[in-house]
Amino acid sequence: MYTIELEKVRKNYGEFVAVDDLSFRIAQGSVFGLLGPNGAGKTSTIRMMIGITAPDSGTIKVFGQPFDRKCLEKIGYLPEERGLYKKMKMLDQLIFLGELHGMAAADARQKASEWCQRLEISEKLLSKVEELSKGMQQKIQFIAALLHDPEFIIMDEPFAGLDPVNSDLLKNVLLEMKKKGKTILFSTHRMDQVEKLCDSICLINKGKPVLAGDLKEVKARYGKGNVQIGYDGDGTFLEHNTLVRSFNDYGNYVEVRLAPGADPQQLLRMVAERSRVSRFELMEPSLEEIFIEVVGKTDA
Amino acid sequence: MRKTFIIARREYLERVRTKSFVVMTLLIPAFMFGITVLPTMMMTRGGGGAKHLVIVASEARTAELIRQQLNQLSQRQGNEPSTAPAMSDRNRPRIGVLTVDVDTNTSEAERAVLTEKVKLKQLDGVIFATQDALAAKKVSFITNDVSSVLTNSEFQRSLNEALHRDLLKSRGMSDQEIDKALEPVSLDPENPAGMGNPEALFFTVFSMVMILYITVLLYGVNVMRAILEEKTSRIMEVMLSTARASEMMAGKILGVAAVGLTQIAIWAAIVLLPSAGMAAGLGVVKGILSVKLLAYFMVFYLLGFALYSTLCAAVGAMVNSEQEAQQLQFVVMLPMIAAVMIMVGVINSPGSPMALWGSLFPLTAPLIMFLRVALQSPPPWQIVLSIALMLVSVYGLVWLCARIYRVGILMYGKKPTLPELMKWIRYA
Repeated sequence: MYTIELEKVRKNYGEFVAVDDLSFRIAQGSVFGLLGPNGAGKTSTIRMMIGITAPDSGTIKVFGQPFDRKCLEKIGYLPEERGLYKKMKMLDQLIFLGELHGMAAADARQKASEWCQRLEISEKLLSKVEELSKGMQQKIQFIAALLHDPEFIIMDEPFAGLDPVNSDLLKNVLLEMKKKGKTILFSTHRMDQVEKLCDSICLINKGKPVLAGDLKEVKARYGKGNVQIGYDGDGTFLEHNTLVRSFNDYGNYVEVRLAPGADPQQLLRMVAERSRVSRFELMEPSLEEIFIEVVGKTDA
Repeated sequence: MRKTFIIARREYLERVRTKSFVVMTLLIPAFMFGITVLPTMMMTRGGGGAKHLVIVASEARTAELIRQQLNQLSQRQGNEPSTAPAMSDRNRPRIGVLTVDVDTNTSEAERAVLTEKVKLKQLDGVIFATQDALAAKKVSFITNDVSSVLTNSEFQRSLNEALHRDLLKSRGMSDQEIDKALEPVSLDPENPAGMGNPEALFFTVFSMVMILYITVLLYGVNVMRAILEEKTSRIMEVMLSTARASEMMAGKILGVAAVGLTQIAIWAAIVLLPSAGMAAGLGVVKGILSVKLLAYFMVFYLLGFALYSTLCAAVGAMVNSEQEAQQLQFVVMLPMIAAVMIMVGVINSPGSPMALWGSLFPLTAPLIMFLRVALQSPPPWQIVLSIALMLVSVYGLVWLCARIYRVGILMYGKKPTLPELMKWIRYA
């Protein structure tokens, strides 16, 4: 059972192709990451899923059916462009959005105060939106997306601009939603978040899918060819080295990707000869690295 | 429908609750009262104090007649409420108690003395109705209140009447005959449909024009702002994930329009009811403001308001900032200004082709068709067609706005060119 299925979806804005033959499916109850650099077509794709725009060709099925506005009541959407009515009281705003999602006013009021308690902003229920901090406004939008207990939750950059404590708070809520069997779509370019939460991903660039599938399987495809090295001394020799395919300096440590067939032990000896090694770890490539590699390759 | 209602309700409640709404609602009638009623009151009451006048005339008989007429002026207000005055009497000023002395010494020396007395404010005025002055048809009136135009014209009227009486009396007519001869006759134009007096009709139509013009000017901006608000607050993406652009448009327009109508209703209750009651009490309005005309007023007003609000919404959907919106608001008002301009022509000949087309073209129809309904009886099919065309336009405009809006929203930041706009309209 799939919550959403895209089949060869295409969207042009005039000459510009925003989404180009994109196909993917999201299994019910899973967390899916829609990844890509800025302008890759993530938001355009989401807008087609919820009927803000229609695809030029291809089909989109939601809950196993062709798109129908009725199913919007079962979808919760947190857009990247955050916005609320500035002069409106927070509670009124939540009730208003709840009602638009088909809830009864009393029900929406009840749920809104429950959620605010959960996200530690109850004391602001009667404040106007313009009096709230950015982080709080973001929490309200988050609540607005979940208030009507949707089956399918779409989060476009949900953690942007939140401090770690609040990010964690929202992340836990989302994990709880997952346990309840809700389907979640993340659209982001924050790879660390995706790595923690997602079951499967689709990486798109310039409207085209470039990498897709189960997250573990995708990472396995890239093998354990990465080494993180912490050392004191001059590390420039790593940059031009036959054993190393790519080199990434993070300041406190470097991460290198081994050339095909290279022996990590040989690299360790080489590093030990020239500097004091504090750490040497063989690992899977991070999603971020895969991202940079894949996107860099398609750009070239 | 439900979503449109929810959106309209939010729009309405949020706006009615603001301080600016309450302040405007109370302040505007106070302001209107201030600028219309007070100056009139001051003008008509201004000369209300007791006055001491002297009439200088060669013949005592003439002077006495003028004195009688002037005395009648100050007596007039005493019994005014009991007799319904003619419409033209309503604007006549109140004249306080007049003390009028007669002086038959027409010498230059006496003239200098009296003038000096006026200068020293021992007298309020001297009328020199000497033989020469009467022959020249130019009587001088020395007074410090040269600018009391209304009062002075009353004096002139009295002087004229006195002189007419004097003349008729010298030809041997009796007082009754003179009264009869001088009684004014009014000319009452009436159209064949029996809709009554054109002065009042013009007044009704003109107030319609003003009310429509002012409300569109006031609330059109609000509609634009409401649409712009969605863009600047970036909330529309959430909104569009629950409601159609057309539902949203319709909801916003209805909500803001309802706020405008509420405010107007309150103003009408504050300002119009007392004055309408007064006018009805005086028997002025009777037969002019028929129920039928009032019903037409409501219909055409609401249609006009809806049409122009929707037009403003379209502007709001096209632009990205209030500055741009304000520039374009003028364009929205142009058809109404055109309607006001052809109004004069239509009043003169309500049956002309210009009147017909003006009353069918949706943007001028609210004013012109109402004018025609008030002045003549246009064929029913024309009225129906005019209303139908306006309704279709409102519907079409909402649809068009929704399209411009939806695509415009998704590409904000960039000012649309006309070809782009056309493309937006065609977008699915």
